[in-house]
Amino acid sequence: MKRLLHVGFLGLLAALALASSGCKSRPKNITAIPGSEGRGGTSTDLTQGNPLPPTVGGGNTGGSSTGVPTPGPRYNPNTGGTGIDLPPVTNPGPGPDSDGNTALPPGNIRDGMREDTEMFRGNTVYFDYDKSAVKKSEVAKLAAVAEYLKANPNSKLEVAGHCDERGTEGYNLALGERRALSIRESLLNMGVSSANVTTVSFGEARPADPAQNDSAYAKNRRGEFILLTPIAAPVR
Amino acid sequence: MIRFSNRRRGFMAALAAVLFTCHGWAQEAAIVIDDKVAGLIPISISGYTGEVDQTLKFDLEVAGFSLVSEDKARFILTGKNGTQVEGTLQDTSKRSILARAYPGGTPRLQAHTLADDVVQAVTGRPGIARSKIAFKHETGQRNGNNEMVSEIFVADYDGANAFQLTQDGTIARSPAWQPGHRTLFYTSFRPGRPCIYSHDLASGARSPISNFNGMNDGAAVSPDGTKMAMVLSKGGSPDIWVGNVDGSGLRQLTSTREAESSPCWSPDGRTLCFSSSEGGGTRLQLVDLNGGRMRPLSIGGLRGATEPDWSPDGKWIAFTRMGGGKNFELYRVAAAGGVAERIGEGEDPSWAPNSRTLAVIRRQGNVRKLSLLDAFTRQAKDVRTISGSCGQPSWAK
Repeated sequence: MKRLLHVGFLGLLAALALASSGCKSRPKNITAIPGSEGRGGTSTDLTQGNPLPPTVGGGNTGGSSTGVPTPGPRYNPNTGGTGIDLPPVTNPGPGPDSDGNTALPPGNIRDGMREDTEMFRGNTVYFDYDKSAVKKSEVAKLAAVAEYLKANPNSKLEVAGHCDERGTEGYNLALGERRALSIRESLLNMGVSSANVTTVSFGEARPADPAQNDSAYAKNRRGEFILLTPIAAPVR
Repeated sequence: MIRFSNRRRGFMAALAAVLFTCHGWAQEAAIVIDDKVAGLIPISISGYTGEVDQTLKFDLEVAGFSLVSEDKARFILTGKNGTQVEGTLQDTSKRSILARAYPGGTPRLQAHTLADDVVQAVTGRPGIARSKIAFKHETGQRNGNNEMVSEIFVADYDGANAFQLTQDGTIARSPAWQPGHRTLFYTSFRPGRPCIYSHDLASGARSPISNFNGMNDGAAVSPDGTKMAMVLSKGGSPDIWVGNVDGSGLRQLTSTREAESSPCWSPDGRTLCFSSSEGGGTRLQLVDLNGGRMRPLSIGGLRGATEPDWSPDGKWIAFTRMGGGKNFELYRVAAAGGVAERIGEGEDPSWAPNSRTLAVIRRQGNVRKLSLLDAFTRQAKDVRTISGSCGQPSWAK
């Protein structure tokens, strides 16, 4: 149901894109909205919500490639009306399954991407002993990461889960992954596309502090962010 | 400390066996090792020197013998080593049980072969002194990503002749043998994220088997060598998946919100045992290859069970119990479930082909030592030939 709404929303945006750019040659595979062609949109058109068939996803008039999320259109003041900028929209990606698990994206999310481990160094999320739930105190750090990803839909993210050494290796591998997934789910709930976030567990193999005391352990129970940006920036 | 008390208990059991013998019954029970007999078998060893002497003594202690003087021995092994190892095994009545020479191979191999013959003659079961193990090894070095570099090694079961299989300079972990093949499966971060490889020891060639986004770990090959279980998180949670050993034909066997880990196979290849944190804590679960829901393995209410390993004879499941903090204990439970019995300290057990000895890891300060634990007598012997930290042993079968 949620997914249908997303499709509808995208359709609406695509309709806007068509309408506001006043396109003359109608793109293929697009069903025209009655009465919309050649007419400058007004801001009230935004809310009328004529959903387009799902095929419009690749039919935006910009030069971007298939699958790249459609940016919100800037309203053209020459056609009248007083439009406002829409927030950038990202494809929400597949939603959770019946167990509540949201699948990781297929393919290698790192392909063609550059790693940046510095960007979100200050946003490292810390966990309680033997826990994978994101603490309330850490939510603001996640929100900042989510805002960045929503504003930069070409960027992707790898969430790395880590543990302290107080657990067996087998258990810590799984716990590290649960921590990373828990962070990922929080980001998705904040509106980040599930297609743009993946996880990795280091278990206890990459300690922030190798000392064997409580203070070191607290630093090691963490989730870190690796920002992935396209090596070849898209032509604007 | 622990070892001392175990030894003493073993000695008491041996004494008891001798007393029973005086009463004229249970003579066989003192010798024939079954799952209930926990007594060390006193043996004296004389006539050997250097590496052969050390190797023989290590092998026999791992196999459940205690080294004593001849007057206290139930079995007397005498011989020599020079151009070849020779050995004569007698019982207390000086009856010769074994007399053999070992001309081929290295002195070390000759000693292992003699030890296996002694074990076979006394216990009626094959020895393990010529078997191999694989394990993860940390040098203590960190790489540019601040990772504790670990590589996969293969060695004789006593740590000798260690061979470094991977040269990836990053995290390599979770080695697992393909039964009946000289092939290891393991996870390496070589591509920048975890990837399960299949590595042919004969040719040195390896192939990537599983490199999905998320977790690719815990590979375990079926006893017939054709299928592989592993933990993948591509579905959004660490779940147990099974496929062919080339990575094809993947099927998801568990689907939970929480994490599954450390799958192992029943010897008939029909069932997997693993650890799951579904429902809070960690417990051992079973799932059938043909599908169906996972079901708990009863271990008598113990909490914190992880890292199960199923004995090759199908009778036992050994596992690590996390007792909080860095307190790790080894247990075994009948494969049908029941009350688990504590068999020692340590973690990550891997059964030897004899379904009796376990390769385990014991933490000593900053270092993690490979150790061999006899589940029958509870006697443990640390492998001292390897410096640095070891982890995740896998015994070749």
